[in-house]
Amino acid sequence: MTGLKRVFCKNPRLTELVRNGLCRCFHAEHVRLESSGLPIIHHSKYVCELPANHRFPMGKFPRVLHFLLKDQVITEKQVWVPEIASRDLLSCVHTEDYLNKFLSGKTSEQEQRRTGFPWSEGIVSRCRYETGGTVLAAEAALQRGLACSTAGGTHHAFPGYGSGFCLLNDLAVAAKYLKDDCPTKRKILIVDLDVHQGDGTAFIFKEEPAVFTFSVHCGKNFPLRKQESDLDISLEDGLEDEEYLSTVEAYLPWLLQTFRPDLVLYDAGVDPHWEDELGRLRLTDQGH
Amino acid sequence: MESSEFEDALDEWFIESLTAYKDLHVYQLEHPTQVIEWTSGKTVCVAGYGSSKNQLLELRLPLKLFAEENKGLCAERDFKLLHGGFSEGPVGCLRHVPASRLIVTNDGQGTDLQVWDLGGDDSDVIRRTGTVKGRESAPQRGSRIAASPSSSPQVLHGAESSSVQLTHLTSGQSLYKLETDTSDPLNSLQFTSDAVFLAGCSNGRIYMADTRVSAAPQMSPPPASSGQSAVWWTDATADPQQASCRVVRLSSSGHAVVSDLRKLGEAVCQAQLDIHCSSDNVTVSWAPRRNYISVSGFSGVVEIYDTCDWRMELRRVRPLFQHRGHEVSCRQADGCDPVCITAHVWHPERPQTLLSTATDGSVHVWDWVEPDSKGPESKSEPSL
Repeated sequence: MTGLKRVFCKNPRLTELVRNGLCRCFHAEHVRLESSGLPIIHHSKYVCELPANHRFPMGKFPRVLHFLLKDQVITEKQVWVPEIASRDLLSCVHTEDYLNKFLSGKTSEQEQRRTGFPWSEGIVSRCRYETGGTVLAAEAALQRGLACSTAGGTHHAFPGYGSGFCLLNDLAVAAKYLKDDCPTKRKILIVDLDVHQGDGTAFIFKEEPAVFTFSVHCGKNFPLRKQESDLDISLEDGLEDEEYLSTVEAYLPWLLQTFRPDLVLYDAGVDPHWEDELGRLRLTDQGH
Repeated sequence: MESSEFEDALDEWFIESLTAYKDLHVYQLEHPTQVIEWTSGKTVCVAGYGSSKNQLLELRLPLKLFAEENKGLCAERDFKLLHGGFSEGPVGCLRHVPASRLIVTNDGQGTDLQVWDLGGDDSDVIRRTGTVKGRESAPQRGSRIAASPSSSPQVLHGAESSSVQLTHLTSGQSLYKLETDTSDPLNSLQFTSDAVFLAGCSNGRIYMADTRVSAAPQMSPPPASSGQSAVWWTDATADPQQASCRVVRLSSSGHAVVSDLRKLGEAVCQAQLDIHCSSDNVTVSWAPRRNYISVSGFSGVVEIYDTCDWRMELRRVRPLFQHRGHEVSCRQADGCDPVCITAHVWHPERPQTLLSTATDGSVHVWDWVEPDSKGPESKSEPSL
């Protein structure tokens, strides 16, 4: 790696070629070679316009990055930029019919109501970039050991329809792609600690032994109609830090030891926090 | 309905509610109520209507509802029980006496009123403090009640047009009696100013009178309607900013007529709502400071209509908004009656906030989002 670095410094054109090559290896518009810091995946197109007064907090994605930089938790040099998820990539999880309708704006009013979003080209674009971001984060993690995306966790999307603010299932697309992008199938563990059950992801991988879906969620939160993850832990309303953490601790180390995944996709939803408007748990900042 | 179908319906409504409401809070009473009455900007009184002992409760609405900014930082999300008491019988009507901690109730069977002290910070008990005698000797139904907006604690009450009186709560003195030629059962009593009130009869007649004078009341006959033996409910705006007071009358066949208080005999506009009713718990209510009316008691839904769309010609109209929360979240067991709204009220200050209650004991407070401006398709249909 040191030799390669010397070559980069001396030959800008070669640096550019190698960088482009690496971008093609990763699903990225831009990768950061100069920093060994934790890769943070982010794209400005994670956001799109929404109707006035829409409840979805679209602004949170750039704000996460803003505060990470402002508080000097990370530097700009750690920020990798994903490319948009191609239709091919999406089709490893989503049905042809759904992709046809979703990408061209032909989802019905009822289908749109179910997702909580009216259709727009902007929403399609942002969801594809978001999925691309999760794929890149997974690729970067395989190379670097750990990576994060500022968006993602759209676990309510099913192969044929969206639901609950989720239009494409980024975790499923990333897991499916990386599972198969290897001579020997990779084993993937999806740890979903969002307050809502990862029902879409559970459904998608129900029959897939190489992907283990683990969801810790509040039983009374959406969706009331639950799917079956490989391991579901349904929590009572109002659970606080200590009991929550001891519950996760009771299962996660054991899962890692027995399943022995090659990659862990962690849906770090913040809605178990007591301040979340819809979540019925009571975690504090410390608990998170 | 299968369990999974019910859960699907609830999930679907939950997602819709995220965009249909700015806020929505749900509370479950042990026993259903037919009455909701504001006792302050943040508190309401409810009471049971079972055949024997019933609870009277003063509830504080979730504080989160009133947080304008940083709603997530407000920990109090739930209704809170502030004061409670017991009534020996059902509560069919309940009114708060302005600028006091007094409420007045009627059991829906006789015409006597019960007076209660809600209590203050030093006590959580709602105590009975007195009785007000009604005029009827052989009533067929309970009394309607209206609390006077004047500074002195007075209530207007009666079951029929011929027995309405104004009573001073402290002294028990009768200050005024409405004298009419006929005894029409009442569905509403309402002050439109400090001394002027409307008595809305179930046959659609309205009496308007001034408690300061002994002159005969003005009487407005029922609106012309094709419905035979229709029952009517009435509400008047209480908006001091409006040039004149408007009155809406709604029949059990869904015919709604709006009149100006100065000319009650003439319709300003009218509409045919798609509702039919045989219930006694119908509520029709003007939104404070808006041209909207809300109706309930016909089903498990509260409907809001924009009367700006209404014309002189009778047309079918569609609601601007429907609150379906009670209907969706009530699990309908085989053989059980579907849930029905028992009462609803608008918040006196917050223009988009309402409270509603239903036969399953659910209480909802909801801050609805006005749908986008209508497109080419009108909310009205051709004349009938």
